[in-house]
Amino acid sequence: MTTHALKSAAQAEAERPAAIRRGPGPLARAVDTTLGRGLIQAIAVAVFFAAWEIAVDAGWLTEFLVGAPSGIWRVFRASLMDGSLAVDTWYTLIEAILGFVIGTIAGSLAGLGLWYSVLVARVVEPFIVAINSVPKIALAPIVILWFGTGFVSKVALAVSLTALVALIAAYQAARDADPDLQALMASMGASKNRIFRSVIVPSTLPAIIGMFRINIGFALVGAVVGEFISSQRGLGHMIYNASSLYDLNTVWVGLFVLMFVGFVLYHVIDVVERRILPWRQVSTAGGIQV
Amino acid sequence: MDHAPTPDSAAGRTDGPVQLALRGIRKSFQAKAGPVPVLDGLSFDILERDFVSIIGPSGCGKTTVFNVIAGLLEPDAGTMLFRGQPVAGLRGRVGYMMQKDLLFPWRTVLQNVMLGLEMKGTDPREATDTARHYLAQFGLGGFENAYPKTLSGGMRQRAALIRTLIMDPDILLLDEPFSALDYQTRLYLEGVLLDAVERFGKTVVLVTHDIDEAVALSKRVVVLGGRPSRVKNVHPIVLGDRSPIGARSDPRFSDYFHTLCGELDIQTRGGTASSHAEAA
Repeated sequence: MTTHALKSAAQAEAERPAAIRRGPGPLARAVDTTLGRGLIQAIAVAVFFAAWEIAVDAGWLTEFLVGAPSGIWRVFRASLMDGSLAVDTWYTLIEAILGFVIGTIAGSLAGLGLWYSVLVARVVEPFIVAINSVPKIALAPIVILWFGTGFVSKVALAVSLTALVALIAAYQAARDADPDLQALMASMGASKNRIFRSVIVPSTLPAIIGMFRINIGFALVGAVVGEFISSQRGLGHMIYNASSLYDLNTVWVGLFVLMFVGFVLYHVIDVVERRILPWRQVSTAGGIQV
Repeated sequence: MDHAPTPDSAAGRTDGPVQLALRGIRKSFQAKAGPVPVLDGLSFDILERDFVSIIGPSGCGKTTVFNVIAGLLEPDAGTMLFRGQPVAGLRGRVGYMMQKDLLFPWRTVLQNVMLGLEMKGTDPREATDTARHYLAQFGLGGFENAYPKTLSGGMRQRAALIRTLIMDPDILLLDEPFSALDYQTRLYLEGVLLDAVERFGKTVVLVTHDIDEAVALSKRVVVLGGRPSRVKNVHPIVLGDRSPIGARSDPRFSDYFHTLCGELDIQTRGGTASSHAEAA
């Protein structure tokens, strides 16, 4: 009788009728490796930049308005050499990361905390919705007024963009936590704090980490917009200054570095997720292909 | 007496000392149109080392009874006596098992099984040893570090049973624990449950809509009926062999089965229950 219970997911998968295991053809399967995919992506990028360069050389596009890959490369090398690019990147990165960490932690804790009291949650809900419906970027001038034109105001703006997102995501996830698991803990005599630690926190982690990805983007928006308004340093400052001087190549360098920063941070969160949520990595059946 | 006195229910009480007595339990829920009474003065006894099934038509408040005993719901009126002492509920003294296995997906099998010991504050090393021992005993050795997601439904429910037993609760509360499983796995787990209950000397309260399972496993069956519901009857079940298959092969099995179906207004044999047909 145990044999049935022990039947593995892999066996079940093997028994699936062939018709629904369609999946990719032989060529797609041969190319679908890390190397193969990377090669295709590299070619796509190379073709894009080559076409851009050729279009500028041939006079179909004006370098003055769109920049050119060769010019972008020159600016990139120069700003890398004189160290200004590193300084600007560092500023924006630290502003975004600090804003992300403070906003996300404060928001998540507040959101999870609302689980403790249905009354408080119901009372504050309309306020949260109202505040959240304000485009936070519109707060930027006030934030600059309050926190000055330096580093702190950019962090504050990033916090204002991330905190409510975190709060809402955490609160929603806490509300969705399985009531039966909570009942089980209660029947064992668990205290409310114990249920919070053992059920609410772990069951909300996937949603909270999912929100990290959104908030990393928002934190960068906060830092860059803050720098647009007034600053002496940072990628936002670099982009804003260059565009007012019609130096499109420098604008592109700033944008590409920002893109790179966002990309790296996104993958850092992937690593964090794999560390914190090992139980989400296990797959039940060998991926069903349709 | 809150329910119709019958020779059966009287006989059911003489078996042994009473462990948990429910007296006049009332409970209603708030709905938009006003309070809806669910339990109307429910009274019955659970004996030491008893195996009591609570059956009744759907919506009769079986799960409400379950939650009241577990201490998850407070009754509007009535008392519960545990070994003669009035208690509000049995939080911390019951093991709880539902149709859903309720394993924590973020915990490994071992960590899931240890949950109750952790809450009791057992030394972690000792708890790990105990948990490993139980897992090996119930044929889950080698799956300590697996996540529940990777196990079959039967194995998950077995892990849930171990988690319940390892806490050494006074009473096991089971709410249709096997109804999501296929018949084979279910018979197997019924056997595992009966063995474990026998070995550890536990009292079991099983809430189910499945008359077949109630008869095969129970020493006594409490039938609820009416809206709001009361105890309609208590049937002692006497079968020679208590294994899941042995019980079902006993000639008395089908008599119990038909009697209980009759109580629930389910027509099972042409004509015999015709008077109940319109009620169903």
